[in-house]
Amino acid sequence: MLTRLKTQVPLFSMNSYTKLREKLKLSGLSFASTHSHVIRLGRHSRHNSKMAVCIAVIAKENYPLFIRSVPIQNELKFHYTVHTSLDVVEEKISAVGKAMADQRELYLGLLYPTEDYKVYPHLIKWYVTCLHQFFSYQIVCILLYRHTRYGYVTNSKVKFVIVVDSSNTSLRDNEIRSMFRKLHNSFTDVMCNPFYNPGDTIQSKAFDSIVSAMMVQAS
Amino acid sequence: MSRQSNRTTDSKKMNAELFTLTYGALVTQLCKDYENDEEVNKQLDKMGYNIGVRLIEDFLARSSVGRCQDFRETADVIAKVAFKMYLGITPSVTNWSPAGDEFSLILESNPLVDFVELPDNHSSLVYSNLLCGVLRGALEMVQMAVEVKFSQDTLRGDNVTEIRMKFIKRMEENLPAGDEVHSRICVPC
Repeated sequence: MLTRLKTQVPLFSMNSYTKLREKLKLSGLSFASTHSHVIRLGRHSRHNSKMAVCIAVIAKENYPLFIRSVPIQNELKFHYTVHTSLDVVEEKISAVGKAMADQRELYLGLLYPTEDYKVYPHLIKWYVTCLHQFFSYQIVCILLYRHTRYGYVTNSKVKFVIVVDSSNTSLRDNEIRSMFRKLHNSFTDVMCNPFYNPGDTIQSKAFDSIVSAMMVQAS
Repeated sequence: MSRQSNRTTDSKKMNAELFTLTYGALVTQLCKDYENDEEVNKQLDKMGYNIGVRLIEDFLARSSVGRCQDFRETADVIAKVAFKMYLGITPSVTNWSPAGDEFSLILESNPLVDFVELPDNHSSLVYSNLLCGVLRGALEMVQMAVEVKFSQDTLRGDNVTEIRMKFIKRMEENLPAGDEVHSRICVPC
């Protein structure tokens, strides 16, 4: 859905180009035009890239014990995202089968990446009026960010899902593994709390602080 | 079953987490049974008392400390020998009252409360009240009546756990006024 512009560079006069840049900057998006004339707008990341966007803990009966996402995003979308990744998790668990039964924990690795699109109507209108000078209307969809999801399953069939924003540098496998290990450790601590009944939602302050430390700082 | 040979050797090692989980299960079951924090605190104190009157014998046999001359010596023995032997921690003795009959034990870490977070509906629960009962029962068996309570608790948000101990009086030799009465060899004052 990302359309190609039909004219050569330069696309605009300098004036409208700078205006577009400013407008986008205000919405927190950065702007880059490549030589192939495809305009891609990525989220302007002002924070450490080594952070998760959403973290979820799912019980063995496949209902969430804990979901937390960065508040500026649409939270429901993340709930759906995590739900769909459960299918992939189930697939991977069953595929592994008996051969890997001796492995202590199943780090499932990258589940699948997606590219999310979001349409910004107010920007479109303005952008299109600029373009109109040169050529016909184009609908522009803005590539917002890439989400990659990672999964981790314990022997007690409790699943952890981390969704990261990988528009910047991609995280190394080791870092994801260490994040999962930290999550698993603090989850074990929550289970050891005698006031916690297995199956309840997780309301522990210690767990919350570990998760917040891993999440993207809301800008 | 003779256990005399074990008295002089090191205490048997046990997993600390099993101990913590056992105590946690005990407290939560009491909460479910009594449904009232004050009642649970009282029960924990009573249970601790029963443990304390028995534990003192074990302690005296293992540690072979002599009779303490005054309350200060008692405080030091409790902090440096007893806590170290049974819980593996060494609290510090501070906050002596001017009359010298009250002091505080400051515990940096409390092995009973690893991983524990008090939920909001149990805000007046003194989780480690068993320790108060143990101290009270043990000291009663060596003819000292004391009052023990928690003045700070990490579970309630304080930085450290503080146990306040107050000396009430020296007791005459008599049998303990606990739930169960056992015949004991009375140590002369």
